[in-house]
Amino acid sequence: MPMKSQQFSSSTASSDSGIGVQHYETRLGIYDEMLATEHKVLPYWEQFISALDTMGSEEIDRRRREAQRLLRENGVTYNVYGDDQKLSRPWQLDPIPLLISNDEWVVIEAGLKQRAKLLDLILKDIYGKQTLLKKGLLPSELIFSHQGFLHACMGTLQNQPRQLSVYSANLVRGAKGRLWVLDDRTQAPSGSGYALENRTVMTRILPDIFQETRVHRLAGFFKHFNKGLSGLAKHNKENPRIVVLTPGPFNETYFEHAYLASYLGYTLVQGDDLAVRDGYVWLKSLEGLQPVDVILRRVDDSFCDPLSLRSDSRLGVAGLLEAVRRGNVAIANPLGSSVLENPGLLAFLPSLARYFLNQDLILPSVATWWCGQKREREFVLNNLEKLIVKHINRRQVSEIIFGSTLDNAQKEALRAAIIAKPHLYIGQERFNFSTVPAFIDHHIEPRNAVLRNFVVANGKDYQVMPGGLTRVAREKDGLVVSNQAGGISKDTWVLASEVEQPVVVTSQSQRQQSIDPISEPLTSRAADHLFWVGRYLERVDGGARLLRTILLKYRDTLEFKDKLDSQCLALLLPAITHVTATYPGFIGNQEDGVKNLEHELLALAKDGKRSGTLAANIKMFVQSAFSIRDLWSQDTWRSVDRIQHRWQQPMANKIEPLQSDLDDLITGVVAFTGLTNESMTREAGWLMLDSGRRLERALVLIALLRSTLVSRHETAVLNQLLEAVLVSTDSFTIYQRRYRSVIQLPMLLQLLLFDATHPRSVAYQLRLLSEHIADLPREGRKTRLSEEEGIILKAYTDLRLSTCASLLNDESDSGVYEQLDTLLANTTDLLWKIADVIAQAYFNHAQATQLMTAPHNAEDEL
Amino acid sequence: MKYRITHTTVYNYSQAVGLCQNEARLQPREFWRQHCSSSHFDIKPKPTDFFERVDFFGNKVSYFAVQQSHTKLEVTAISEVSVYPKPLAKISQNLLAWEAVRDLLQDPNGTDEAQELSQELLDAKQYVLDSPMISSNQALFDYAHASFSPDKPLIEVVRNLMERIYHDFTYDPSFTTIATPLSDVLLHKRGVCQDFAHLAIGCLRSYGLAARYISGYVETAPAPGMPRLVGADASHAWFSVYIPGTGWVDFDPTNNKMPFDQHITLAWGRDYADVTPLKGIAFGGGQHILSVSVDVMRL
Repeated sequence: MPMKSQQFSSSTASSDSGIGVQHYETRLGIYDEMLATEHKVLPYWEQFISALDTMGSEEIDRRRREAQRLLRENGVTYNVYGDDQKLSRPWQLDPIPLLISNDEWVVIEAGLKQRAKLLDLILKDIYGKQTLLKKGLLPSELIFSHQGFLHACMGTLQNQPRQLSVYSANLVRGAKGRLWVLDDRTQAPSGSGYALENRTVMTRILPDIFQETRVHRLAGFFKHFNKGLSGLAKHNKENPRIVVLTPGPFNETYFEHAYLASYLGYTLVQGDDLAVRDGYVWLKSLEGLQPVDVILRRVDDSFCDPLSLRSDSRLGVAGLLEAVRRGNVAIANPLGSSVLENPGLLAFLPSLARYFLNQDLILPSVATWWCGQKREREFVLNNLEKLIVKHINRRQVSEIIFGSTLDNAQKEALRAAIIAKPHLYIGQERFNFSTVPAFIDHHIEPRNAVLRNFVVANGKDYQVMPGGLTRVAREKDGLVVSNQAGGISKDTWVLASEVEQPVVVTSQSQRQQSIDPISEPLTSRAADHLFWVGRYLERVDGGARLLRTILLKYRDTLEFKDKLDSQCLALLLPAITHVTATYPGFIGNQEDGVKNLEHELLALAKDGKRSGTLAANIKMFVQSAFSIRDLWSQDTWRSVDRIQHRWQQPMANKIEPLQSDLDDLITGVVAFTGLTNESMTREAGWLMLDSGRRLERALVLIALLRSTLVSRHETAVLNQLLEAVLVSTDSFTIYQRRYRSVIQLPMLLQLLLFDATHPRSVAYQLRLLSEHIADLPREGRKTRLSEEEGIILKAYTDLRLSTCASLLNDESDSGVYEQLDTLLANTTDLLWKIADVIAQAYFNHAQATQLMTAPHNAEDEL
Repeated sequence: MKYRITHTTVYNYSQAVGLCQNEARLQPREFWRQHCSSSHFDIKPKPTDFFERVDFFGNKVSYFAVQQSHTKLEVTAISEVSVYPKPLAKISQNLLAWEAVRDLLQDPNGTDEAQELSQELLDAKQYVLDSPMISSNQALFDYAHASFSPDKPLIEVVRNLMERIYHDFTYDPSFTTIATPLSDVLLHKRGVCQDFAHLAIGCLRSYGLAARYISGYVETAPAPGMPRLVGADASHAWFSVYIPGTGWVDFDPTNNKMPFDQHITLAWGRDYADVTPLKGIAFGGGQHILSVSVDVMRL
């Protein structure tokens, strides 16, 4: 019976502030998680939903917004392909979880374990003896024509208690309340990290209700996860090195890769961070090559090895399969395991469960007919309107075909395609997923839901996460819940019969003794990104400060109409073009006057599409930081988010509010700098970040000095200009304190060039840079200077050997301090050279690879 | 007939390569038609990592890695092979019609022969399916149609198809690369041995038959009166069809010939992608220039 709103509306006029439990209207013939098929709230939902109702819709909406804020600040994102406007989309979390009773959970848990065991046995057989194919229990064309069957992986499974280490299933509930498995994920299942983050946020926004509801904790699952992966290492090595292999920041679930890596204490790597040598897998780190024992893989298997698998892949590691074959590295899940994602397998699981386990499936699959069999094919062809048709290769045909939506021509085309290659198609029962209450527009509404569960192997046993990732369709009656289509996620609360103790996730050493701290090696890619985070940050800082100074001067010219101000401004404008390298900008003819000047200044601040602008540098800063998301502390990431978020706010195309925006931005940059200063250990990572900052700060400062002070100016203009330079380098106060006099060029140079104690001087940057470079890890003994050490030594020495007097010695009539210009130009060249040398010495992931294939002889005369 | 085959591949790089990893299928496999009495590699610089194994299709594969910096890589495989041909007359006695073979491959359980042939049939069935470089389709079906007269013995069908490809298509090394799709080959009626083998395989699979790709060598006779040129031979490719009762029968559409004792088999698979003689990944290297020489010498 569907619930009828009229029954309740009259009696509940009092609770307008509630969440509308009384008006909750389910659909006829659809099971609802809260009401089942009756119109009465199920007992295990009662306490929870009445607590929410008491809290009231305003309060829940406030907490929902709080959840969104937390998720955004924590950088929980989901990348949507084809959306180049924004790299990542915030993760959506509904404040109402899916509740699962303890009784039902027992069945789900047993069902998932059984399924994991069965799939594990099938996987072992397919890449091993192939008894199933030989006995005809599985048709060979179903396996061999699936893209997940990788011929190169035949015989490469290693001797492990379980081959399938991580497994995930999507569950749906049918009209009669029975749970069905919609599909199995065995390749590199995603979602467990999102489930964990959802839980973290839920306990913060509904702490009291969460406490009262007695919900199973998730931490135990991750403990098993960690132990299970560690156990895969060769010879049961203690403290094996485990890495998370990600396709990179453009992957849809990149957040999760970084999140899991950092939660479990693994190193996050991309394919070219790894190399195979002597049949072992090595991590390219700043400290040299480090052995890798276990890979938690989030790259599709066929992309993992360009030598043995897809040669067009840029995401893999050449020779990886060879290392697997020799048993030198374990991969979870093994290469080739996507063969189990073949939806045609669903039709054979019941018989395989009887063959292997002598059991019936506890959790049945959604009814599936494989068209490779005659009778099944005919059934599908005769019932196209009622069924869903899928190609067995998911990537090949992205859309699931709903037979009922096809017109006659499309139907005929589908029919012909099935008849031509029947083994490539399945028909599946169309399913009306159960609904679950979702908080939409201040009240609850039913939404179709799919529950994703997670299973990990720890030794021979499988462990199921007591919870999961529930996803609901955005639109009413919608059946597509995928994140790509904008679905909303929910936490999943498995109700416990008793309260649980918290668990510590990181595994404990088996021996009771103190452990040497392991410093995770810094991958050369991470070093590269850190270096650039530092550089972009300084570009933002230097650009913002100079722009702010110019805006002040511009306002003066409008206000006082003083000729000196205008002259000074005219000198500052080209400087910002030089400093930001946004040519042509203010260089050359300025015929178009003030309106264009404002336009250009606004563009320098906000035009994200033009390189060198603040917006562009902020974008690059955030992208670099995001690429090493796992290395930042929670607070540091929040400061990155603030810089980005504030600058993205739509703003009036006016110059007036820009001043205070710049103030905010500079404060944001300072916050980031402060947080990294206080939270990063002084190891290679810090050295890279700060080297990038020092290098760029020196470059920005030199560009500013060169474009303003190398030419000689009249005293009155010069005074203004010098003041502007001091203000823009945050050195005005210190100058006044130190010299207590009018501003003069020699003293300014003394402060900004030579004073090695002043954090804004060139000397200071060079000094720190040389210290950092000396501290960077190097291969071999340090008996002689490395190339980068030599260059920085030269730069710093040249500067220290110069004097103000000689630099400002002007015998020529050129109107230019030539020696000053030469020194600044040379220093710039040396700094750029250092950047190149560092890149070559430390960022060796960047080396290009090429495929070598001998084509069939062109001179072949046959 | 006995041969010595020397197959040399040289890569010259414009910049140093720090590491290269390779997979070679350059050692002739053993089977009833041929015996490989010796086979070895000569690789410069010497690889520090070298492993041999047998792949899914039963071919010999060698993995090797050169881990020191180099600007030139030279890979030579030298093998001695004896070929024991089966009399063609005997093969031609198999008069099984193509429809019967198709049905057998489609539903082996429906027939009595299936019981005995099951292992062989199971293996053959995978060569009916699409593979990385060959997808059966209507165009291939239409092209092949003239060869598929009803009830014609399969061996005759394939012989006819081979002959038609030989006459309809122009051998043109300038036209295709490894990546040229089969549809272009069919449209322009041009290609090299690899394309013709793929084409024939695609045609046969479009009729539900099992066909596989063979990589190997063929002995070339010098022009009359000319001395034999060392290294002027080439690697070659042809195809094979499964005919129950006889087994796999080879056809060379480039030469319009059923291989007898001048074809030496290296490896077989579903298509070229399964049996690429030499492929590798190099780190660095800039531009590379490749040269290949093959010498098939009768002993």
